[in-house]
Amino acid sequence: MTKIKKILLSAIAVLTFTAFSSVANAGCGKITIANMNWASAGLMAEVDKVILEKGYGCNVELIPGATMPSFTSMNEKGEPDILPEFWANAALDALTKAVGEGRMHSINKAPILGLGEGWWIPPSTLKKHPELTTAAAVLARPDLFPHPEDSSKGGFHICPPGWACELINKQMFNGWGMAAKGWKIVETGSAAGLDGSMAKAVERGENWFGYYWSPTSLIGKYKMVGLDMGKWGGDDNWHKCLVKAEQDCATPKQSSWIKSEVYTVTTDNYKKTAGKDGMNYLKKRVYPGEVMNGMLVYMADNQAAPADAAIEFLKKHENVWTKWVSGGAAKKIKASL
Amino acid sequence: MEFFTKIPVMEGTALRDLKKGIDLSFRNFSRTYGEAIEGFFDPLLYFLIWLEKILVSTPWPIVIGIFGLLAWLGSRSVKLVIGTVASFLIIGYFGMWKDCMATVAIISVATLVCIVVGIPIGVLMSKSNRVEKTILPVLDMMQTIPSFVYLIPIIMLLGIGKVPGLIAVCIYALPPVVRLTNLGIREVDKEALEASEAFGATPMQKLRSVQIPLSLPTIFAGINQTIMMALAMVVIASMIGVRGLGVPILQAISNQYLALGLMNGLAIVALAIIFDRVTQEYGNRIQKHRGQKK
Repeated sequence: MTKIKKILLSAIAVLTFTAFSSVANAGCGKITIANMNWASAGLMAEVDKVILEKGYGCNVELIPGATMPSFTSMNEKGEPDILPEFWANAALDALTKAVGEGRMHSINKAPILGLGEGWWIPPSTLKKHPELTTAAAVLARPDLFPHPEDSSKGGFHICPPGWACELINKQMFNGWGMAAKGWKIVETGSAAGLDGSMAKAVERGENWFGYYWSPTSLIGKYKMVGLDMGKWGGDDNWHKCLVKAEQDCATPKQSSWIKSEVYTVTTDNYKKTAGKDGMNYLKKRVYPGEVMNGMLVYMADNQAAPADAAIEFLKKHENVWTKWVSGGAAKKIKASL
Repeated sequence: MEFFTKIPVMEGTALRDLKKGIDLSFRNFSRTYGEAIEGFFDPLLYFLIWLEKILVSTPWPIVIGIFGLLAWLGSRSVKLVIGTVASFLIIGYFGMWKDCMATVAIISVATLVCIVVGIPIGVLMSKSNRVEKTILPVLDMMQTIPSFVYLIPIIMLLGIGKVPGLIAVCIYALPPVVRLTNLGIREVDKEALEASEAFGATPMQKLRSVQIPLSLPTIFAGINQTIMMALAMVVIASMIGVRGLGVPILQAISNQYLALGLMNGLAIVALAIIFDRVTQEYGNRIQKHRGQKK
């Protein structure tokens, strides 16, 4: 046989074999889940992977990501299929539009109970200065929280670039008039930078003031104290100003933090691939706050990777997850552990 | 048979206790010596803050004029001076002036520190095979270990900001100049060295008048690589809170702003090329007596 004929025949053979293999996996099909770069999201992605694979026979792939990049990818290209922990305040308008067009589904509007974003100080600081229970009280004392590179100003630690909370905190800085009160933003650069600056300060007994969120292992481990941020500044002020970049809105006003909206979001493709079983599982999947905090502290204490923590969760909290899945699926998952 | 399919792993709890033990001992170290180490680096921090403030607050014509003058002094090449001035004007016009000045401040200090620390170490390595053998693995580690691995202990000791950023850049950018200084000096013509001994040169005289001048091309190749690597670390430095061109690039990465990332990236490339060409031309000029160009 000529060389060309050999190549063509082998190509056809390979294609037929791969066609068979994809047919063999029918039942649920291929799903991609966003594996986002923080502990609780990683845990949720790994638990979803085990449950969908062992309980419902899906072929699951985890794709690394973060809030905005993963959401944009889902919106524009329809991949990944599931965003387990999407902090929806980041892109509420875009999400509503996509849901309206049927491309995405906000399948579960409260996958974790007991969430909160805001500004925190270490418990040692509160002990030394018991009057610092509100954001207003802290903002009046920039001298207690010196900026690492300019001790004449107070240091306000914000989120890394690219996180939605970076924009919000920068607008809050303007809205609360922090520059005039003698404060300067500390650009943390990355999640590791933000975590590291808080950890270093608390370990050394220094004061620290900045943004963080719960449930997280750091808040639980260091028992950080959330500050009372006062009154809600109105929906327009938040959605049309505080969440936008500084150049898009020059008049933010001070406000408390919005109630955190965290959704599990899926693409339409997931609805078609995983069907009613998959949608029902995600609808029912709700982590109670203490369970999630407990798992996060477990992950931190034992330096467990999210995959190992997922197995630990499935073993220890049977009473929680068996409520999310059908009886048959629960049996299959228990058998695989 | 399981021995062959699954590699034997250290017992789970023992591994965990080992990791926690290391963490705990580092935490104690940080608690006892952290303040002292921070205090040790304070002068460097103040210097960096002062330099950045000066560069950012001085009127831009003066700053560009000074850079043009430095380019001229280093290279005596009109083309390079025009290129330098034009690049900075374009960077400023596209709104990247402040970030660019912050990056120039920290990178020039980092490069200087690397050269001042690296060349003596390279000279030491060239004198003794034993020293070379001990230092080479350290250099390998500095170049390959992922930056955040050594940044985590540094952040615990010094917090985030300019000093950890400088340390990160220096750790990554130091090895090239050390290796190439060592290589250059070792490769100096043995006969030239013998001739200088025959004329009664002391070791110091040999080093200053024979070895270093003859190994300058290699040393300057090392300096060039160090500059390139220092600028490549700008983004990682931004990840631990250093202001500069890296911050918009991080924003661009997280939000998929292609144009922003490209513009700031190209600004870093422009800085690298300017730094490099000026130092290379300076190197060529001080070797003109050898009659060879490059």
